[in-house]
Order: sequence, then C-alpha cells, then structure tokens
Amino acid sequence: MDGAHHNPTPDSPFDLVAFEADWNRRSRNSRLISLGWIALASFVLIMSMELSEAGQSTVDAGWTARIATFADRMVPDLQLQNLFGARRDAGSLASWFYDLPVWLVAMRETIAMAFVGTVVGGTLALYLSFLAASNLNQNWIGLQLVRRTFDLARTIPDAILALIFAAAFSLGPVAGVLTLIISTVGSLGKLFSECMENAEMRQVDSISALGGNWVMQMRFGIIPQLLPQILSYWLLRMEINLSSAAALGIVGAGGIGMELQRAISFTEFDTYLAILILIIGYIFVLDLLSETLRHRLIGKHALRNNRKPSAKAAAA
Amino acid sequence: MSDLALLQQAEALAPGAIFTPITNRVKFWLGLIAFAIVFTAAWIDLELTYSVLAGGFGKLGQILGTMVPPTSGGQLERLLWAIAQTLAIAVLGTVLAVVGALPLGLLAARNIVPNPMIHFIVRRIMDIFRGIPVLVWALILVAAVGLGPIPGILAIGFADIPRLAKLFGEALENADERQRDSLRATGSPDIGVLRFGTLPQALPVCLSQCLYYLEQNFRSAAIVGVVGAGGIGFELDERIRIFAFDEVAFIVLLYIVAVTVLDLGSQWLRTRLT
Repeated sequence: MDGAHHNPTPDSPFDLVAFEADWNRRSRNSRLISLGWIALASFVLIMSMELSEAGQSTVDAGWTARIATFADRMVPDLQLQNLFGARRDAGSLASWFYDLPVWLVAMRETIAMAFVGTVVGGTLALYLSFLAASNLNQNWIGLQLVRRTFDLARTIPDAILALIFAAAFSLGPVAGVLTLIISTVGSLGKLFSECMENAEMRQVDSISALGGNWVMQMRFGIIPQLLPQILSYWLLRMEINLSSAAALGIVGAGGIGMELQRAISFTEFDTYLAILILIIGYIFVLDLLSETLRHRLIGKHALRNNRKPSAKAAAA
Repeated sequence: MSDLALLQQAEALAPGAIFTPITNRVKFWLGLIAFAIVFTAAWIDLELTYSVLAGGFGKLGQILGTMVPPTSGGQLERLLWAIAQTLAIAVLGTVLAVVGALPLGLLAARNIVPNPMIHFIVRRIMDIFRGIPVLVWALILVAAVGLGPIPGILAIGFADIPRLAKLFGEALENADERQRDSLRATGSPDIGVLRFGTLPQALPVCLSQCLYYLEQNFRSAAIVGVVGAGGIGFELDERIRIFAFDEVAFIVLLYIVAVTVLDLGSQWLRTRLT
C-alpha cells in the first residue's frame, strides 16, 4: 500500500484505511485525555482525604457508630397509650413538642426577617441595578463600583456576615435582617442589571425623544417591559430567603434557628428533631405556596412562553 | 372629534387598553395596602427601632474601623492550610453527594424506571429532604460526630444528595428518546441502552452541575466551619468571638481571593464540558 490511500480523491469517496488510522488516532487521544482527567481527579481526591483527615484511621474509626447512637437519641420515646395526652404525660406528643408556642413565635420571626430582608434588599438592588447596567450607565467607574459591590455581597457567605452583624447588633433578628438585605442586594442586583442589559432600548429612546429625563426614561421605558421578570426573580429570592433565614439563627441571627442551637447546646436531641420536623414542614408548605403564587402572578400564559427563571441563577 | 371621544373610540376597539378597569385598580390598591400592613407588622415584630439601628451601626462602624489594616496575625501558613482544608471538605462533600445522588437520580427519572410508584415516592422523599439547609445538617452532625472536618463533609453530602438527585433525574429525562430507540432496535439490553443511549447525553450536563455544586460547596464548607466543622470557618469564628476583627478582615479577603480563583477555574472547565 502506498500513500495514494491516504489522500482520498473524489474518485475514491471513502478511504477505509485512512479512516481507520484517523479513528484510531482520535480514540487514542481521547483515551489519553480521559486518563489525564481521571489522574487529576484522583490526585484531588487523595489530597482532599489527606487534608481533611477523613482518610486517617487514627482520627476516629467509630463515627458511623456514633451517628447511629445519636440518631437513636434523637427519636423521642413516645408511648402509644398517652400519645395525645397533656404536656406533663411522659411519651405524649405534647411533651415532645413541649415548647411549641415559643417555636411558632420564633418561626414568625424567621418569616418576618426574610420578608423585610427581601423587600428592603430587593428595593435597594432595583435602584442600584440601573447603575450596574452598561447600557443605562455610561460612567465606567460608577458601573464597576456597583458591580464589584454586588460581587462582594455575593461572595461572602450568609453565615459569616451574620456572625459579624451579630457582633455589632447583638444576637437577634436585626443581624439576620441585615445579612439577608446584603445577600439579596448582591444576587438580585446582578440579575436585575442583566435583565436591563437585555431590555429593548427603543422605548427608552422614544421617551427621550419626547423630552423625558433619565428618571422618566427608566420609569416608563425600562420598568414596564421588565416588570414580570423582575417580579419573578424577586419572588424566587423571597422563597430562597424564607428557607435560608431558618438556618441563619444557628449562628445567632434570630428566628427558629436559635431554638435549634439552644436544643443542641442543652443536649435535647429529641427537641432538635421536633424543631427540624417543624422546619421541614414549613419549607414544604413554602414550596407549595410559592408554586401557586408564581402561577397566579405571572400567569399560565407567561409560564408557557418564557420558562421561569432557574433557581440556580437566583441562588448564585 | 374631541380627545376624549378619540380615546373612547380606541377603548371600544381594544377594551382595557386605555382605561384600566375599576376592579383591577381596586385589586391593585387593596394588594398594595395589604402588603404595606404586612411589611409594617414584620418591621415592628423585629423591633427595628431607630435606637437599635443607630446603636448597632455605630458599633458596626467601630468594628469596620478595627478591620483596617487587615493582618494575618503571623499565622498565614495556618490560614492557607485552613483554606485548603475547606476546599478539601467541599470536594469530598460533593463527591459524597454525587455518589449518593446517582442511584436516586436514576430511580427518579421517568424514562429509566417505568414504575410510576417508585419515582413518585423517591421524588416526594427528596422534596422533603431538599429543604434542609446545610447548616442544620452541620449543627446536628457536629454534635453527633464531634468537632472536625468529617461532620462538614457529611453535612454537605447529605444536604446535596436530594438536590443533585433531582437535577440528575431531570438530565436523564431530558435525554433524546430517539438514540435510545435506535439502540433498542439493535436488540441492546436495558443496561446497554442506559450506557450508550442515555449516559452520553446526560453526562456532560451532570458533570457541569457537579462543578457548579463544587463552587457552591466551597461557600458551604466555609459556613459549616462556623459551627465547628473545621476549615476556614472555624478559624473565622474563633477570631470573631475574641473580637480580633483585623484578622477577620484578612481571612475574609483571603477567602474572597480563593473563591474567585475557584470560580474562574470551574467556569473554564464548565465551558469546556458543554
């Protein structure tokens, strides 16, 4: 066989030898690349095991057993005969959920935190996002300043912000509200400004042609066309905040999380389970409510045409 | 013709275009009033009074003042090690989540498991567990296992298993049926259809989601440290408790740099995958 086979001409439309050589080369290359990725992944995994001491048998061989005993301690010893008895009866549901009124008040505090945080944070984000949209703000320095502020607010985790705020405002819901405001400004600001960059500018131009100033251009040119998107992102963030506010209390920022923390520090593990069930139920109801509300506000029509914004995008 | 007559003519052609129906306006204002009442009630419930806010912001100003200049406190090596440990917690937590989520994702996919009862039950169970925040898992696992990175890894894994399983299930369901059909036509067994029909379509999507979760889990790993699960969060919590805010500022800056590097790396990988 000579080189003629390797140069397929229109006369020989399919050269099997060349094809097979090419195929072998490609599959060899792709196998090498996969092997490289696997090696890299294994290296990362082994390094992680090493760094986190998870692979070292000296640390503790018995943590699985400890989780099992712990899980056992979380389950309350309910007794069937006085399941629906009063609070002082041992083994009744009422004695398990012994502090229910306090927990419900804490739950209300969590909801209030999330509500105020989302409304205030979203409003701030809406105003700031006009400055972070490159088509609406020609001032490069101002644009970068607002955008980097959003980035900073998104990067610092909620719980760490809450710790710092709790140091300044003492333990309680105020620290939680401020934390939620900051993280909401970061995430919604980015999403809103991205919406605005995709907005139709002809409506803004027509208002400026009529002699409208910048505020009027924004109010009547940008807001009406983006309102459904903005509202749906806002609602999605409300949902995210309502569930993340429950956890913030663990680091001292008010609400039901503080009761969880209290139950753990008093080693009332069955109480922890009771509060956890309450939180799971709350988040479950929240899911259902937000689903129906979203459908009603945005409308079936809009849902069919534009897919709802992904939760991933809003959480980022 | 007068302006009003023109408007009325337009309204007759397209009802609701010029004059908003009175019922809609009433509904709008009622909604707004209800919203204002709820907001005010929440504000009062949280006791966000002027004195609380003014005092707090004054103290926050002092704290921010002590943050400059940030200092490592001579423990740079220890802090870098803690950042690496945080990354390790995130990686192992994500791996644990993926390993746990794969079988559940298969069970939850309608086109893999034909039995509707199974994927209905799997989905409902995942719905229940998906709502539990990672910090709640971490708190209980630290109490059960003790301080250290292992409860952090477990917390991240447990929190993400139902979330990833849902995404995996959706990725599998979105696989094109025609490729699966063509494999069935060749007489391939079910496992072959899964391996060569579904997996090549779903795998890039799943991998890209894993990388996204790795990014998110680097944040979670910092958070779980605050309740005692190792890494940078633990170092940070210690320093906030003793009001060493110059070191806190240093750690936060270090962390932001690390997050940025990781995000850029992961984004580069994700664009290559898809």
